[in-house]
Amino acid sequence: MLEIKNLNVTVEEKQILKNLNLKIGKGEVHAIMGPNGSGKSTIAHTLAGKPNYNVESGEVNLNGKDLLSKDPYERSLNGLFLAFQYPIELPGVTNASYLKQIVNAHRKSRKETPIDAGEFLKILKEKSKLLDIPMDMHSRFVNTGFSGGEKKKNEVLQMDLLDPSLIIMDETDSGLDVDALKTTADAINKLKNDERSFIIITHYLRLLEYIEPDYVHVFQNGSVIETGDKTLASRIDQEGYS
Amino acid sequence: MKTLKPSIIEFTDNFWIESNSKNLSISHEIINDELKLKITANYSQIPSRIKLISSNRSKLKIIADINLNENATLEIIDENDYIVDTSFILKSFLGSHSILELYRFNKFQSDTNNTFFHTCNLSNGSTFKDFNFTNGSDFTKNETKINLNEKNSKYVGSGVVLSNSSKCENNLNIRHLSQSAISDCSFKAVTRGSSNVSFKGKVFVDENCSNTQSNQISKGLLIDEESKINLTPILEINNDDVVCSHGAASGKADEEVLFYLASRGISKSEAERIYIQGFLSEFIEKIEDAEMQAKGQYFINENC
Repeated sequence: MLEIKNLNVTVEEKQILKNLNLKIGKGEVHAIMGPNGSGKSTIAHTLAGKPNYNVESGEVNLNGKDLLSKDPYERSLNGLFLAFQYPIELPGVTNASYLKQIVNAHRKSRKETPIDAGEFLKILKEKSKLLDIPMDMHSRFVNTGFSGGEKKKNEVLQMDLLDPSLIIMDETDSGLDVDALKTTADAINKLKNDERSFIIITHYLRLLEYIEPDYVHVFQNGSVIETGDKTLASRIDQEGYS
Repeated sequence: MKTLKPSIIEFTDNFWIESNSKNLSISHEIINDELKLKITANYSQIPSRIKLISSNRSKLKIIADINLNENATLEIIDENDYIVDTSFILKSFLGSHSILELYRFNKFQSDTNNTFFHTCNLSNGSTFKDFNFTNGSDFTKNETKINLNEKNSKYVGSGVVLSNSSKCENNLNIRHLSQSAISDCSFKAVTRGSSNVSFKGKVFVDENCSNTQSNQISKGLLIDEESKINLTPILEINNDDVVCSHGAASGKADEEVLFYLASRGISKSEAERIYIQGFLSEFIEKIEDAEMQAKGQYFINENC
């Protein structure tokens, strides 16, 4: 599924990721934990191809294809989905129109015809219900004026609509109250299958109590310093990183 | 001057008007290729509407006097793709509690010159709704002067400019000359292909104009390195009992937004198109008329 080999990344000439190696198999859930500034979000942004995240050396393969040579939009079309820690606002574009356009971008890349408006509305209603998203949210501008919880739910809705093979969640639990966290985690759990893998970046144990990881990696200074099973997350929660 | 009955009124083979109302009187004369129009709207339960139609056969020069009598409502729609030079000089007078709505959805051919001048005088409780969508030519100039002469008069205006390799000047001069008048103006421009767009928005509040409300916002989006946008808000306020706000901002497309769209599978060119579409559509809800709002949205979507 995903293989990262000796990855070195700099941002504004500062080295953030140092000889990172990580292997994620199909259907696996990997959690990445670590203190602030350890490079957790840099992995997410580098894999998604964010400008100014410079890969100095290393390789990344997703589903057997070189990921790093692709433009950011091609990475998405090849099955990668990044759920943002701070989802971006897009004033002037309604959420429904935006969601339809991203769905159609993926359909086009699969050489399928654009989705019919009626069919899209049906799917949108179905998937919004799972996340407890009211339909009137879709007539508002993308993420504009949304609460923290609404923004995160909108991220999960997009991952559901786009059907990716690798989902990277960058602190999806931040800004969610207990109820919203449970609803969001339930929806994410429904997206789990044998073909789809997850990287969950988080500071806290609470999300991992709902979405059980197969592996937990501890990050420090841009490298993985420890890997274990879900009990590692509990230990960090009790003892901290030091 | 000869007076014509309204419905479809052909003035020349170059220009005519479609009207839905018998509550309009329209007269015209042609002097030296200039079409002079006099339009008077009377009160009717069904608002009067006229559509300006150009056949684009030759240059268009129109001078129009528009009068709205007390409580009259007139909607003027100019939805033409012009391939000839155009020149409009409008003078409008709005009687008490009348409403004038002016909608312009104009795509100009690149090698044309186009000017539009409008002076609007508003009486007690009257409203002027002014919405302009322009896809620029080599030279486009819009100049609007609003005189809020009597109390409770109101101006709501919004300009959207998409400029391609062109020069577009926009001047709006709003004069609050009586108390309790309201003005609300927004202007948005997108420049591409070495364009040069300017917007000068002046709001003057006279000393006797207590309880004035005025809001003005102008924003520019630069798509390439060579284009220029110059936004100049000017406020001259001579009374303390006013609520006035203004804002002006211009810049390039937000890279964070473009990356967000890319992370969802949207290519760079398509992401830019969506970004521009969103940027220009932000104030579309100011158009209350659903049909005109849809036309505005269609114009933006088609020209992004």
